[in-house]
Amino acid sequence: MLTGWEKLIFLCLVLVSTTGAVLTFRHMFRVIGKGKLPLPWKQLGKNPWKGLNVFFSQRTLFKSRPIIGFIHALVAWGFTLYMVVNLVDALDGLITGFEFLPHHWLGVVYRLFVDIFSVLVLAGVAFFLVRRFVTGDLRLIIENRVLMENATREGIRRDSMIVAIFILFHVGFRLIGSSFAVALAGPDWAQPAATALSKAWCGFTPETLHLGEHIGWWGALGLILAFIPYFPYSKHAHLFMGPINFILAPEKRSPATLPALDFEDDTIEQYGASTIDHLTQKQLLDPFACIMCNRCQDHCPAYATGKQLSPSAIEINKRYYLKKTGSAWLKAKTPPEEKLTTWMLSEEATWSCTTCGLCVELCPVGNEPLVDILNVRQDLVMMESNFPKDAMDTFNKLETYGNPWGLSSQDREKWIEGLEVPLMREKKSADYLYWVGCAGAYDSRGRDITRSMIKILNASGTDYAVLGNEETCTGDSARRIGNEYLFQMLADQNKETFSKYTFRTIITQCPHCLTTLKNDYAELGLELDVIHHSQFIEQLIRDRKITVKQADLESITYHDPCYLGRHNGEYEAPRQVLKSVMTTEASLAEIGRNRNQSFCCGAGGGNMWYEIDRGERINITRFNEAAETGAETVATACNFCLLMMEDAMKVTNREESMRVRDIAELVAERLPD
Amino acid sequence: MKIGVLVKQVPGSEASLRIQPDQSWIDESTLEFEMNESDSYALEEALQICEKTGEGEVVAISMGPAVRTTKVLREALAKGAHRAIHIVEEMPYEIDPMLVGQIIKNAIAEEQFDLLLSGLQSNDLSQGQTGLLVGEMLGMNTATLIMETEIQDGSIRVKRELEGQWFQWITIPLPAVLTIQSGINQPRYPSLKGIMGAKKKEIKAVSKEDLLEDHSRLQSFGNIYIQKKDKRTEMIEGGSAEIVERLVEVFRNEIKVL
Repeated sequence: MLTGWEKLIFLCLVLVSTTGAVLTFRHMFRVIGKGKLPLPWKQLGKNPWKGLNVFFSQRTLFKSRPIIGFIHALVAWGFTLYMVVNLVDALDGLITGFEFLPHHWLGVVYRLFVDIFSVLVLAGVAFFLVRRFVTGDLRLIIENRVLMENATREGIRRDSMIVAIFILFHVGFRLIGSSFAVALAGPDWAQPAATALSKAWCGFTPETLHLGEHIGWWGALGLILAFIPYFPYSKHAHLFMGPINFILAPEKRSPATLPALDFEDDTIEQYGASTIDHLTQKQLLDPFACIMCNRCQDHCPAYATGKQLSPSAIEINKRYYLKKTGSAWLKAKTPPEEKLTTWMLSEEATWSCTTCGLCVELCPVGNEPLVDILNVRQDLVMMESNFPKDAMDTFNKLETYGNPWGLSSQDREKWIEGLEVPLMREKKSADYLYWVGCAGAYDSRGRDITRSMIKILNASGTDYAVLGNEETCTGDSARRIGNEYLFQMLADQNKETFSKYTFRTIITQCPHCLTTLKNDYAELGLELDVIHHSQFIEQLIRDRKITVKQADLESITYHDPCYLGRHNGEYEAPRQVLKSVMTTEASLAEIGRNRNQSFCCGAGGGNMWYEIDRGERINITRFNEAAETGAETVATACNFCLLMMEDAMKVTNREESMRVRDIAELVAERLPD
Repeated sequence: MKIGVLVKQVPGSEASLRIQPDQSWIDESTLEFEMNESDSYALEEALQICEKTGEGEVVAISMGPAVRTTKVLREALAKGAHRAIHIVEEMPYEIDPMLVGQIIKNAIAEEQFDLLLSGLQSNDLSQGQTGLLVGEMLGMNTATLIMETEIQDGSIRVKRELEGQWFQWITIPLPAVLTIQSGINQPRYPSLKGIMGAKKKEIKAVSKEDLLEDHSRLQSFGNIYIQKKDKRTEMIEGGSAEIVERLVEVFRNEIKVL
């Protein structure tokens, strides 16, 4: 189709475009390479399936916003096929007389697909343009209370506009080109849109039609050549970087479990992240994978209740910061000096995170803004000594008394008074070590759960023992707040205690103790077999070790604790336990946001111990959701969740009509005497 | 400016006190100790004065048993004190304030501090005398209940807390001793750098015996016990004369208030 000169110009442009793409992609990867902890880049060749799987299945898109996710899947699959279309078009232009299977049924299907698809894409892009720029979808907006430069806010809009216009023109030019071709060759029922459009060219001379066909071809293919080197600068780099992120991401035990820090190594001068050069390669790759969809922000408990934190803003800010400073950083010997808290996320935002892990769970491209937050906390706590005063009190209590309540370590086993509870220091060995935890030992409601557990343990004839006063806090709050040093101190104490006794499995009623003992201690080299009491009780019921009276329980709903669900993948066991206490006809009234999308109670990540004085309270938002189910009993499986829910119940004056119970309490109430 | 800070290790406010089986003293083996509250404010004030003036040295001083007392001194060093002096004394509770003052005076006399700070009083025995006594023994100017400080050339301007929401600003020449009221500042949490650095800082241990010629104690504990509560009711019957007679007898011989 093309003339000789046109072919030459096209090939030259291909060369220019390819060179440009190599340069811009190389720049992007060099910037990522400035991060610490090299990613396993060789995995790209060895195990690409981990990324391709996500790309082709689009499975991560359906976790939230399923309808938009479905449209995205169509776009992604269509785009992949459109790559073939562009290739065919290029051949069509370069090889004189080339036609793609003109008479074969496959060619017919191909033309029909491309024609209809082009119209759908144009309509789709028009829809997205209207959504972003005319009607405005709140989910695409990051409120002004979140730290973000104006240039970045404008940049998001500009980049979205550029990409939309590119697609609009690319596909539009192609459709127009096809319509001229149809006008020249005669109507083609396999290209209804192009045929309809070709009617507009009725009366044009063949020369004009040829010219139109050429313009259409150049417009479509020329834009592709221009766009390829632009990819790393647009958020559409997510097309490659998303899958790459899945291929390279190091395996993690749970979303908030970071690798242990080494305090013995004298050469380490910085713990946590203060400036961009303290971030890892993974943390610099994340912003290039981010498509700024804000799915992480939708259900972020901090953002949703009006705090300064938006997980997506973290990635977007990193992206625009690297855009601004990347070249200089590559050239200069010294890294940019601006503190992360001045441009990435504010200090207040840092403390607003409940480490619930929802942002990580819902991100379609495998980003982990939670890790950035935890790293900044480590810096603020250990390097800067700059954090909420109440958190300092908590640290002092943990240091002096070994529990965040600040009560005497000698009173830890006071709850035992009047109960028959075997002690490890007397028994020395048992099948199960029942880990009571600080809440279970000191808090009055926590003690209710503990007593229920004792009733269940004794009724089931389990061989168990507790540590009593020898137990000390696992260090969950210390670690999540960023005090790794204190966490390791507490862990060392517990490790020493564990080494004195023989046991097979640890049972704990606190999902925070669960994740810390199971996942965080493993990072310190201590692999323990730890189960949650929901799992233990479920097993007892299944093995008929205990019989629970199925009774008259009115309507009941269940709040998934973040650290049991998203952090440890357990959604089913507590529900099975609840089924066993309900009458056969009753069914669990699920809260709208449940299982992996459960909305935090507000206590995680150390937020139990300090207040962020902004926006609404997270526990009230969550309790209202539970109340909307109409259930009278809100069941949960975490000490913190229980306290937060109960507090919200009182604040919202629902004490008369509702109650909050741990699953162990509901079971213990129904054991035969 | 060279500043000394007296820090005492006291049982935590939530620690549960248990008496030793022989009733000679409380059982310290399972007791949680912490830095005395007002001493931690005194330390913070010293560190802030040092940072404000941009030069100087902060020395933490404590008296107590060999093992546990180092914890409170390490904490002071982690927060930023430059070095520490540990007066080793296994039974600090048996020494009366006058003797404590003398021991500390002897331990720090040659340091020639420009400023010596202590907490207002300790949360365990609450005698509130140590800082003052040391100051007087060293011939330094003393002021108590300090709420605010302001270093001037050769002197220090301080705000004292009086009764009934009244305050007093006074200026006293250096060298001086101040006893610091809780709440004067916001004590810091040691940074990791501080904690690591503290391991390398010097804690000079001095034995109490080297500091005193006369080792005789002026006080000792005889018997420690928890106060017994006794509730008894006696109905006195009879005529008014008999009742009065019985009442006087009870007041004089049983309750011993007459």
